[in-house]
Amino acid sequence: MDIIVCVKWIPDTSEADLAIDSGGKDIKKDTLDYDVNDWDRFAVEEAVQLKEKHGGTVTVVTVASEDAEEMLRESLARGADEAFHLCDEAFEASDGFATARILAQFIKNRPFDLILTGTLAEDDGGGQVGGMLAAMLGIPSSTLVSKIQGQDGKVTFQRELEGGLYEAVEMALPAVLSVATGLNEPRFVSIRAVRKVASIEIPVLGLGEVGLDGSQVGAEGSRIQIEKLFLPPEGEGAEIIKGSPEEAAARLAEILKEKGGIG
Amino acid sequence: MKKQIIVLAEHRKQQIRDTTWEAITAGRLLAEQLGAELSCVLLASSVGEMAEKIAKECPTVLAVEDPRFETFNSEAFIKALSAILADKGPYMLVMGNSNAVIDLAPGLSVALDAALATDCFGFEVQDGKPLALRQIYSYKVNALVSFKDAERIVVTLRGGSFSFTPSEAAAGKVEKIASPLGDEPLRKRFLSFVEAEKGDVDVASADIIVSVGRGIGDEPDMDVFQSLADAMGGVLACSRPIVDKNLLPKYHQVGTSGVEVKPKVYLALGISGAFQHVGGIKGNPLIIAVNKDARAPIFRVAQYGIVGDLNQVVPALEEKIKELKG
Repeated sequence: MDIIVCVKWIPDTSEADLAIDSGGKDIKKDTLDYDVNDWDRFAVEEAVQLKEKHGGTVTVVTVASEDAEEMLRESLARGADEAFHLCDEAFEASDGFATARILAQFIKNRPFDLILTGTLAEDDGGGQVGGMLAAMLGIPSSTLVSKIQGQDGKVTFQRELEGGLYEAVEMALPAVLSVATGLNEPRFVSIRAVRKVASIEIPVLGLGEVGLDGSQVGAEGSRIQIEKLFLPPEGEGAEIIKGSPEEAAARLAEILKEKGGIG
Repeated sequence: MKKQIIVLAEHRKQQIRDTTWEAITAGRLLAEQLGAELSCVLLASSVGEMAEKIAKECPTVLAVEDPRFETFNSEAFIKALSAILADKGPYMLVMGNSNAVIDLAPGLSVALDAALATDCFGFEVQDGKPLALRQIYSYKVNALVSFKDAERIVVTLRGGSFSFTPSEAAAGKVEKIASPLGDEPLRKRFLSFVEAEKGDVDVASADIIVSVGRGIGDEPDMDVFQSLADAMGGVLACSRPIVDKNLLPKYHQVGTSGVEVKPKVYLALGISGAFQHVGGIKGNPLIIAVNKDARAPIFRVAQYGIVGDLNQVVPALEEKIKELKG
């Protein structure tokens, strides 16, 4: 099974202090650490596990800035065979639609059986690219996927519904599956493993090489655009208990006792 | 042509889901602000009772019957909706951001040549154009998003953002239309529903819950948290990253895709408060959050909070609780 995995390079904002930049349409990113989107790391691992089981190849592709090479190297060290870096200033500020268009243009003339992505990315939380990419390529897709099994030109899998319910689904290949986190245990990738793939060349393709023009990508090629960002007020709602950890814990214990939190 | 607000009704096992009522609520607001007509599309294997129920809340219900709409097969829904909406416009299609809709919205927006904003928690209208409010960057930053000059717009709604009140207007009409699906076989096929495994701990019925999230670190000592839960006479639960890391089994996971809980007290430790998690906490419990990030969204739903280090707060809290219990 030949698999293409689309991965995203995002700032880690989960525990960082965030501030809006002077333009008011993005956050200050210069002090943030970047990493592969967590959901996408599971997608790469799943692709490698499917390759180990069924044979075939794993190709990783990203639309990202130059420093994302590190993420592609990690993917190669994880077991991917090749990686492509779609990188151009014109790609910046692409929304989900424009990003899907760049990926579709790159993928459409390549042979593949399956495309894997994460279901969503933790920066914009859009969850758009997988399904849009599938529609642009004219193939079926699904999201929140786990328990993937491939055989005879089709895949079966489960997808998450709400309240602990899943649905089992069968789909003809080629297809796009956007995975759920937790569907596998991503292996540890050592620095030594990354060094071993240092000689693999990662082609970097710009706007013209992908085969698009400037009006189709970036802000111009996007269908939605951010007009304004703002931070919700800090601690809105919660009464913050001040003091040293011991003092705060003592006060919290009293609140718990008073409100029935100690059974 | 007059603008239209079209709501997609969601159902499972022949029951209308609450996301439909929330979408109708948002649809009413948008219709009023944009001077648009409101209608609802229901695709189901049997529309009868569900269509009547929706018509009580919506002026027009387009009802389409086909056995292939029994479950939310995204391929069948995208094909059918793009045929049904082909000659309509300008319009805004409004759906809940449920796990069923997540599967079909992106592909549908491409098929409709429409602009898509997912997981919206509010809307504004400026110069007759709608703008959507979303949350980005780990749900810590609010974004006001425009659709440029799109004539066709698709939006999905964050669960719980639009609370429904029944309409007092006269019931609307149900228009049945023939299924636009041809005989061509679908490439995607529903096989069965699968229930998640049940465990030895039932967080769904617990009154006191201690819940842990990503903020407890990569290699946490789970005994510390279990011990606190024991001292409080409660059970230990968690958010998704904890299950993903195999630190607790899935039946401990609180959230829309995990277990729905209705405790009296919910102590959230190192939980950021993403809506997928908070959406699983029902019944307005007392929520107390401990997190080192003062901007964690959990503090917006908690009544009390401590901004601090769990390694210091948790042992101190257990000690104080034991003292109070004597």
